[in-house]
Amino acid sequence: MDFWSNPYYQQIAMFIIINAILGISIYLTLSTGQLSLGNAGFMSIGAYTSALLTIKAGFPIYLSIPVGGLAACLMATVIGIPTTRLQGIYLAIATLGFGEVVRVIILNLKITNGALGLSGIPSIGVSIGKQISAMGFGNGAFGLTVQQLGNFSVIVILLMVLAFFVFFTMRLNNSRIGRAFAAIKADDHAAEVSGINTTAYKLLAFFLGAFVAGIAGGLAAHITFYIGPKDFAYHRAVEILLFAVLGGSNVVWGPLLGSVILTSLPEILRSAAVYREMIYGALLVVMMIFRPEGLLSEETIRLWKNKLSRNTPAKAVDVTRRTS
Amino acid sequence: MLLSLEHVSKNFGGLAALSEVSFGVGPGEIVGVIGPNGAGKTTLFNLITGVFSPTAGQISFREQPIVGLRPHKVTELGISRTFQNIRLFGHMTALENIMVGSHCRTHAGLWQGLWRTRGQRAEELLIRKKSEELLELVGIADERDTPAGSLPYGKQRRLEIARAMGADPELLLLDEPTAGMNESETEDLRLLIKKIQAMQKAVVLIEHDMHLVMNVCERLVILNFGRKIAEGLPEEIRENKDVIEAYLGREEE
Repeated sequence: MDFWSNPYYQQIAMFIIINAILGISIYLTLSTGQLSLGNAGFMSIGAYTSALLTIKAGFPIYLSIPVGGLAACLMATVIGIPTTRLQGIYLAIATLGFGEVVRVIILNLKITNGALGLSGIPSIGVSIGKQISAMGFGNGAFGLTVQQLGNFSVIVILLMVLAFFVFFTMRLNNSRIGRAFAAIKADDHAAEVSGINTTAYKLLAFFLGAFVAGIAGGLAAHITFYIGPKDFAYHRAVEILLFAVLGGSNVVWGPLLGSVILTSLPEILRSAAVYREMIYGALLVVMMIFRPEGLLSEETIRLWKNKLSRNTPAKAVDVTRRTS
Repeated sequence: MLLSLEHVSKNFGGLAALSEVSFGVGPGEIVGVIGPNGAGKTTLFNLITGVFSPTAGQISFREQPIVGLRPHKVTELGISRTFQNIRLFGHMTALENIMVGSHCRTHAGLWQGLWRTRGQRAEELLIRKKSEELLELVGIADERDTPAGSLPYGKQRRLEIARAMGADPELLLLDEPTAGMNESETEDLRLLIKKIQAMQKAVVLIEHDMHLVMNVCERLVILNFGRKIAEGLPEEIRENKDVIEAYLGREEE
């Protein structure tokens, strides 16, 4: 219980989940073979939209976050129509440029409070805490304070959002649209000739990635009280990309694992003090040399499925085979 | 005419890949397109399927002009093709490859896929069944769950035909389907093309295997340096001087 009630660890757990959601957002665009580095930009649009709606317009948080996601989506349509025609590295550069443009605009707008950023963003934890107090648990319950209970509920909510997106992605993968995505990733031209409107589906993937990133941005804003343009700079875009690079981008579990490792690694390595960043960098280089496809691939998943099914009765084996 | 080409030309910069080519394909007919390497046969397929637009000329399918349509639209209208260098979706299973082929005949969207609505499940079941039948048709039913990339070469060729058939085409364009195949595989392919014809589908076949072409095609179109040099029944073509010259060269005086 000590671990779960420590606000510091709770905060890290929240960041891990938000980063995992960001991992899903890059996975969605990558599932059509598009390397987009615009997810930090979409995240900032979600974060600022949601923060401003709650601060200036008094929107409730549960409404402002989805609106933030939709705003990111809208922006994705505007920039996606020209950019999804680009391929590979060109798309990466264009979307990276887009992220920087968004950052510079935010830096210079009055409403976003420029370089100072927005502070005093209503927090999910605090508002849940208030609810808990109103319900008569003024001194907390289960041996936890109101703040701890609030944080704990935030983690549960974040996990639910993450679980929904994982569910969504897995259902998508096993559907007609998911097959179209996979076909486009495997061979764009063959997919087009096989009757798939590749432009439309690439745009859709871009769109979904932006929406998920926007939601992650909104959640992040309402957890940290403060957001500034620096939070969504170039390093953020690269960090999101690293989730997919480290974890593997062919299965949804890849970026999830990547985000968990990369978010907790700096904390685990905290005792290594100044060498922390060096170890972090060295690990990534080693990774690139020995497992360039990422930690998890389709083969790894298949291997584990087989291992697990070998230990279960024959009937279960049959079921897994049919669903896989 | 199911498909008709009228004075179709295609230039790549200064190079005339095709010039003034005209011919037609009737419903259920098997037409062979032959010619030496570089004669413009694959360019012809690329023009029909909308990969390139012709520099001049008109292409129509079921009396409807199709020039300028995107390739997926052309497929939706009923023209499917295979590639000279096999282009399957390597990581996907054989069955999934064919299911992708029937994409333009199905409708389930994001929402239906997410909640597995009744309509979506029925549709999935239907295309799964249809795809299994196509696996059966091309004779690789036991490779249903094998990733396409790890199939042997001959089976990949067959799978590509099955994928093209997934879109329920009225016209199937086959680009050198027997390339790299041995004699018995080629014979199997001949039977397959006959079966496809029996399903009321027209086939345009680019092929170098003269034995197959002469056996299976009802009519032949011969291209050389981007021009149609002859058209006719296989037995006529066999005797045609220009054709023999294009393939074997001129006899020295």
